[in-house]
Amino acid sequence: MTPPVRIAQLSCGPEYSGVQQEIYIAAKEVNGEIFYPDVALKDVLRDFDIFGLDVRSPDLKLAIARAKALVEGRVDADAVFIATCFRCAEGAIVRNELRHYIHENSKLPVVSYSFTERTTSGTLLTRMEALTTIARRRALLAREAQQGITLGLDSGSATTKAVVMKDNKIIGTGWQPTIEVLKSAQDVISHALEEADIKRNEVQAVGTTGYGRFLVGKEINADLIQEELTVNSKGAVFLADRQHGPATVIDIGGMDNKAISVMDGIPGTFTMGGICAGASGRFLEMTSKRLGVEITELGPLAMKGFAGRVPMNSYCIVFGTQSLVNALATGSTREDVAAAACHSVAEQVFEQQLQEVDIKEPVLMVGGTSLIEGLVFAMGELLQTKIVVPPYSQYIGAVGSALLASGFIRDD
Amino acid sequence: MAKVFIYPSTSLILSDLVARYGHTPLSSAVAIRERIQTAGFESPPLQITPEEPKKGLKWAAVEVPSGVRGRMALYGPMIGECEAAIIINDADLAFGCMGCARTNELITFLVRQKDIPKLDLYYPKNEEEGVKFVAAIKRFLTGLGEGK
Amino acid sequence: MTDYKPALVGSVTKYVVVESFDVTPADLAARAYEISKGAMIKETCFGLVINGKEDEVDRIIAELRKIDPDHIFIKDRGFPPGDSRRCRANLGGARPGYHGMEYEMTVIPYVSHGLEVLKNNDGTRIAAPENPLMRRILDISRLKKIIDTEEP
Repeated sequence: MTPPVRIAQLSCGPEYSGVQQEIYIAAKEVNGEIFYPDVALKDVLRDFDIFGLDVRSPDLKLAIARAKALVEGRVDADAVFIATCFRCAEGAIVRNELRHYIHENSKLPVVSYSFTERTTSGTLLTRMEALTTIARRRALLAREAQQGITLGLDSGSATTKAVVMKDNKIIGTGWQPTIEVLKSAQDVISHALEEADIKRNEVQAVGTTGYGRFLVGKEINADLIQEELTVNSKGAVFLADRQHGPATVIDIGGMDNKAISVMDGIPGTFTMGGICAGASGRFLEMTSKRLGVEITELGPLAMKGFAGRVPMNSYCIVFGTQSLVNALATGSTREDVAAAACHSVAEQVFEQQLQEVDIKEPVLMVGGTSLIEGLVFAMGELLQTKIVVPPYSQYIGAVGSALLASGFIRDD
Repeated sequence: MAKVFIYPSTSLILSDLVARYGHTPLSSAVAIRERIQTAGFESPPLQITPEEPKKGLKWAAVEVPSGVRGRMALYGPMIGECEAAIIINDADLAFGCMGCARTNELITFLVRQKDIPKLDLYYPKNEEEGVKFVAAIKRFLTGLGEGK
Repeated sequence: MTDYKPALVGSVTKYVVVESFDVTPADLAARAYEISKGAMIKETCFGLVINGKEDEVDRIIAELRKIDPDHIFIKDRGFPPGDSRRCRANLGGARPGYHGMEYEMTVIPYVSHGLEVLKNNDGTRIAAPENPLMRRILDISRLKKIIDTEEP
C-alpha cells in the first residue's frame, strides 16, 4: 500500500468545535494522515516574533511557529491544511497570512478552511482529495498533452459533460442537465462518442470528475476518478495554452465555486465555497427564468444593462430573488436586472473566495457560467483585468479528465 | 475545602499550590476527564462533540466562533461553581484549552463579575518575586478557611 | 457516527513534575512502584504520570511529595498515561498543553524558592507582589503637576 500523504495541520479551534474528527475522517478517506509539526516552546517564541504578526491567541502563535518549521524544512510534510473558526477575525488574518507565506516560500500545496461546529468530513473531502493528489501525483499532473483516444466525464451538480479526445484534440462532446446521475452520464458519453465517430471499445482510457465521479467512475470502469480542483486547473491551462508559469482559475459552478491559484498547471492554493447558492450559477439560472430568457441569453442581455442602477445583494438566493422581483416591480429594465445579477454573483465570489488565493494573471474563467459574458465582464471589472475564457470552457472538467486519463493508457 | 478557579486553567503551578494549601483547584483537565470518561459518540481527540459549542450558547451568542463556544462549555460550569479564583494576568503562553484569546477574555471577565474572593498576580520573574508570589497565594488560600 | 466507549472510567490521572537537583524522575518512579497498590505509573522526562482510583493516587502522591516537597508539583490530567489521542508519536508533535507546561517550568524554580522560604514563615510579613489591577499609566497632567511641585 502506498504510504499516506502527510498533511500538516495548522489550526486553532477544531478540537473545541467538535470537528477534529471530521478532519481526520476526510484525510483518511483519501489516504492522508494529519499531523502537527513538532516545535518546542523556544521555537514558538522566536518564530512568532520573527513572523511579526502580533496576535493574542496562543494557539495561533503555535500555528505560526509550525508554519515556519515547515517552510524552513525543519519538519517534513507533503501538504498543509490550515483551519480556524468561522467568524474569528484573528483566526482569519492568521489563516490568510500563513497560506500566503507557505505558498510564496515553499512548494507545499495548501488549503485553508474556516469551520463551524456543523462542518462535516463530506465538505472537507474534495479539498483533502485535491491536497493529496497534488502531493502524490505530481508526475501525472505534469502531463501537458493528451495522447491516444480518451474519454473524460464531468458529472456536475447541475450538468453532466463528456468529451472524447484524440491526439491532443477534442473530437466529440456531450452536454445535458444532470437528472439521474448515471443515465445523464451514459447519454452524454453516447453523444460525444457519436460526434467523434469512435466506438466505446476504441477508447483507451477514461477519467471522471465532479460530484458524481465515484458513482459514475465505478459504473463505467474509469481509470482515473479525480476531484474537480486539480482536473479543472489542468483543463483550464491546457485549453488556454498557459501550461507554464502562474495562472488563476475561477469556476463558478452550479452548487459551489472554485478559485485556484495555479503554477505550471498544478494548483498551489485553492478555495472551494458553497455556503450559499446566492453566489452560484444556480442564482443566474433563477434570474434568467424570472426574466423569461434562456440562460444562454442572460449574458448578452446583461451586457446591454448597467448593474449600478439596481441594488442587489444575492448573499442568499432567496433574498437575491426578492431584490430581483422588487427591481422589476419598481420599473428597472430587464437588462439592468440581468447585469445586476451577474455583478452580484461576481462580487460575492470576489469577496468571499478570491481573497483566499493569490490572484496572478492570466485569470481564466471556466465552467458553464463562463459562457455568460455579463458575468465574465463583471468579474473582469472587479479584478481590473482582462479575463480569459478558453475554448470549450464549459467542458473544462471533462477535458481535464480526458487529458489526465491518457496517463493511464497501457502500452499493450 | 473551597473550589478555586485557576487561570490559566491548565497551570501546573496554580493547580499544585491550591491543592497544597488544602483546596480544590478547578482546572481544564478535570473538565476534559469528564468527557473522556463519558460514553457517547466518538469525537477525538478531546471527546468534545459538535454538541458542546451548542451548549456554549449559554455563555456566548451564536455569532461567536464555535471554538469559543466549545471552550466555554468546559469553563462556563466551572466559573459557575467556583468559590474563589486566582488569576495570573500575564499567562500569554498557555496553549490548547487556553489557546484562544477571545475565550480567555470572556473567562476572566465572567470570573471578575462574580462576588467571590479573587487574587490577581503576575508570574514571578526572579526569586524575590517567587517568595512574594507564594506568600500571596498562601495568605489568600489560608484566608478562604474551610470553604463551603 | 461511531459509538465511544470510555476506558478507565472512575479513575483519575495526575502529573507529578519534579524540578530538582537532587531527585530524578527515576527516583520518583522507584518510590512510586514501591508503595503503589495497583496504580498505573509511567515515568516521563519531567516526572511521572499516575493513574488509578482517586484515593490510591492521592496516597501515592502524598508520599512522593515528602521526598522533596518544594520541588515536586502535581496537577490533574484529563487523559490516562500513554493515551494515543495525546501521544506525541501519534500526533507528530507535542500536544499543545505541553508547551504551556514547558513555559511554567521556566518559572517553577522561583516558586520552589518561594516554597523554601515560606516553609518556616507564615508569610504574613512578606510584602504583597505587584497587583496587576493596580497598574495604571500615569496621567500626563498628573505627571506635569508632580514636575511642577518639585522644589528646585
